[in-house]
Amino acid sequence: MNMLTVARPRSLDAISALMSDGRPLHFIAGGTDMLIAGRLRPKDGILVDLGQVAELSGISVVGQHIRIGAATTVARLAEDPVLAARLPALSQAAAECGAVQIRNRATIGGNIAEAAPAADLLPPLWVADARLEIRDHDGSRLVAIADYIASPGRLITAILLPDPDPAPKSGFAKLGSRRELTISKLNLAMLMRQEGGRIVDLRIVAGAIGPRPQRLKLAEAALGGRFLSPKALQLFAKALSDEVDTAIPTRSSRVWKRRAIVGLGYDVIAAMTGHSPRHPLFAGAA
Amino acid sequence: MGQVHQRVPLIDGAEKVGGKLQYLADMTMPGMVHGALVLSPRPHARVVSLNAAAALALPGVIGVWWHETVPQLRYNSSIWYVGQVALNDEAMFAPVVRHVGDRVAVVVARTAAIACAAARAITVEYADLPAILTADAAAANPGSVGEGEAPAFCNPIDHVKFVHGNPDAAFAAADLVVETLVSTPRSHHCAVEPHACLAYPEKGGRIAIVSPCQSVFAVQAVVAQATGIAEADLHVMKSPIGGSFGGKAEPVLDPICAFLAATLGLPVRIVLSRRETFVATRTRSAMQGRMRIAMSRSGRIMARDTVALVDVGAYSTGGNYLPGSMLQRLVRLYDVPAERYDGRAVYTNTVPSGAFRGYGSPQIHALAEISLDLAARELGIDPVTIRARNLVAPDAIEPWQGLSIGNGRGLDCLSRGAAMFDWQARWARRRDTGRFRRGIGVAAATHINGCYPGEEEATSVRMRLLPGGMVELVSALHDLGCGSDTTLAQIAAEVLGLKAHQIGITPADSDLCPYDLGTRASRMTYIVGEAVRRTALALAGEIRVRAALALNEDPGRVRLEHGLARSEEGEMSLAALADWMIGRGQTLPAASETYRASGNPSSFAAHFAEVEVDTFTGRVAVTDYLAAHDVGLAINPMLVEGQIHGGIQIGIGYALYEDVAIDPETGQMRADSFARYTLANALEMPPLKVLLVEEGEPSGPFGAKAVGEIATVPVAPAIVNAVNHALNTRLSDLPLLPERILAAL
Repeated sequence: MNMLTVARPRSLDAISALMSDGRPLHFIAGGTDMLIAGRLRPKDGILVDLGQVAELSGISVVGQHIRIGAATTVARLAEDPVLAARLPALSQAAAECGAVQIRNRATIGGNIAEAAPAADLLPPLWVADARLEIRDHDGSRLVAIADYIASPGRLITAILLPDPDPAPKSGFAKLGSRRELTISKLNLAMLMRQEGGRIVDLRIVAGAIGPRPQRLKLAEAALGGRFLSPKALQLFAKALSDEVDTAIPTRSSRVWKRRAIVGLGYDVIAAMTGHSPRHPLFAGAA
Repeated sequence: MGQVHQRVPLIDGAEKVGGKLQYLADMTMPGMVHGALVLSPRPHARVVSLNAAAALALPGVIGVWWHETVPQLRYNSSIWYVGQVALNDEAMFAPVVRHVGDRVAVVVARTAAIACAAARAITVEYADLPAILTADAAAANPGSVGEGEAPAFCNPIDHVKFVHGNPDAAFAAADLVVETLVSTPRSHHCAVEPHACLAYPEKGGRIAIVSPCQSVFAVQAVVAQATGIAEADLHVMKSPIGGSFGGKAEPVLDPICAFLAATLGLPVRIVLSRRETFVATRTRSAMQGRMRIAMSRSGRIMARDTVALVDVGAYSTGGNYLPGSMLQRLVRLYDVPAERYDGRAVYTNTVPSGAFRGYGSPQIHALAEISLDLAARELGIDPVTIRARNLVAPDAIEPWQGLSIGNGRGLDCLSRGAAMFDWQARWARRRDTGRFRRGIGVAAATHINGCYPGEEEATSVRMRLLPGGMVELVSALHDLGCGSDTTLAQIAAEVLGLKAHQIGITPADSDLCPYDLGTRASRMTYIVGEAVRRTALALAGEIRVRAALALNEDPGRVRLEHGLARSEEGEMSLAALADWMIGRGQTLPAASETYRASGNPSSFAAHFAEVEVDTFTGRVAVTDYLAAHDVGLAINPMLVEGQIHGGIQIGIGYALYEDVAIDPETGQMRADSFARYTLANALEMPPLKVLLVEEGEPSGPFGAKAVGEIATVPVAPAIVNAVNHALNTRLSDLPLLPERILAAL
């Protein structure tokens, strides 16, 4: 049969049964990408609506992990108190993703699987070392988010976040053409701990400077292990700009992004360390 | 009674917010079929052939029309009466497409979805022609840009030169000469309702057109010219309109729908998609300007020398009026003893420009007000002070057309606005040096009231008392959503002693309404409002005569108030009067008046903006805003404030975000969707304060004059000036994208 049919399974087991059916599967959750008029839609196989699968939705703490069902909406992420305490970078990214209407429909799994270069949820998930629970016709397994590649017939069922105690500090910032309802031209997530005032275990990931998120190791090295000082921040700023130069050496947006990323970096550091970005610490130019 | 100067809610407001108002896309008719356009992907090409076989094979497809199968009549979409002379360069579908998004063909099908699918199935063979994609390229190559079709397609399409006083002597004697280059973008109206039209056959072989338009008579004239259907056979009705801002002033779909309805004998509707509205309708013309200002040390403008180049796009439309319109606005703001102006409009192979709130005024004010601020900086004079030293006084005569500006109160807007904004204290504040830098900016502006002395500026109104005591008001009125119907009803009600909602306004209908120029040129309140006031006065006289008979009283002693005709002897409601007259077989009181304008006073404004610029990211936040407006008298202060708020929203976009961004290499429009074309949304709007200067315009109804267009005119320069103040830069290419701001640091 060479046409598209729709399935509305109610359980993961029912999805597994569809996976052994042999026909191409196309998963749809919030539909905020696929249903936009004019986008190419699949012509054959089964369109699997994930909206009825209760197991795919919700946020829970399971042992040393936070487990987020892949069909959990972005709005739900943004308002979840556990996430706000344990991984504020993800809460903030969710709160700034798309518009209210988009957030009410779009899901975290969809944001990961669509893998847009500007996807706002990816940098926070990368800095947090998220792992994805993947299911296909061979069964279920875990992959690191940095190793994940979307492919037909594979379904993200959950996102697992490590939940160390105490929780690290984390933060997110984005730049689009305006503050809300905007696609990121640049976004940035950071995660760190502070030990006696030193910044340690710093992880920085930027979006929209390449086809997928970029871990900014130079910038991590520039600030990691240091006390927050104008000097350290200047080194950090230079490293951030250098990272942009390396990532997009020929793009016309480079000149703007190499400076703008410093603004985002300072905003996130300031928020994580309880400062205003207007604090004199951050006054130094890149 | 008590209707003027009152915050009367929109008379159609409840219908709108209740979702009851039927817009064109909500309307349907038995047997209605749907059209979908095929648009050119090329900026300039000959349409060699068209293969519609696959489209015609789709079930439900009725037919395909293109240049070989429609009348090749050239028209100009900007005309507003039959017989108006204009550059006729546009056709429903032409053998040569002249911009990306130009119309190639139309498919008609049983449903809109089938029509769209069929349009995609059509293949077109193009032979590319050399394309002119920038105004510079057009200016550098004057002459024909078509193929032997002059005078159409010949650059420049208009060239206005004007000299007043002795500029050369003034420049030679100046203490300071400052030259500034300013460019303004191609922006788009972004009305919530996309362009749409419905046409259907009527009795007697006529064609009815229902259109969210700004003038039913303009639609009639344009459709007649484009299709060859006699204007008497066209019956045009205005539908409720979901925003226009000038974007629907020019009929785009109406000729095609009328032609198809006549050809097929069926109702035909076309509703454009958002992308089609961007690429296939109208935009604000882009301008490149250069202004040299000769200043005295004391801050007086001695002379200006202005060169403006306007890109009107692929079809003339009304673009040949732009250089003159810009000059008309330029010379009404400041008392400048010597002026030289050189304005050209050129064709390019880009989306056509057309009417858009202010019609050249935002462009020329951006040039003049940014230039003046930079001159003030070099002189070390406060921007408010330099404007105060040069603004025209009331009753000044402007030097181009020799018209009085009327009771123009620019100086009041400036001085009272500056006080309310606490300008002096904010200006004295020490300059920020860190990452976030605040600045303030001011811009003054002026705008016209109607079309006088251009095309005959006249309007006719009929009013009559209806059984039941309502009063019917008939004129070709086109409320574009800003509340002109409510304003006019207030004016009529004030005179007749009624409430605004007791005035029944007939939507514009070319069969029923006397001619009016339409909603344009900031003429509704000032021109049509005065016509309504005069007609209401005449009707009130008729009613008083009748009521005097009924009350057995002298007409001079009858007053109309609270819905009653009253005298010392007694009173009766207008409903009772109507009943009394009907009982005696009398015709109910009626009046009609034609009002011809005999002047064109200026409205004025001064806008004050505070911004904060993030020097790392280049983002500008407008943090505070005050708009002071000389409106003569606000018939409805709430609607006036609404107009101003909306004008500021458009202006912030013009300053900071909006540009359809036509690629100068390919002619493709990069920002042809709301994902790519950025408007200022709620979060970007600053706290807005409005200060109304109400000193009365003697020639306006109850002293009122216009606010509709001017509300957006000073916004962009006020914001640009604030950014330049914050950063000590000379930014002058709009919009101020973050990239441009960082590059200037």
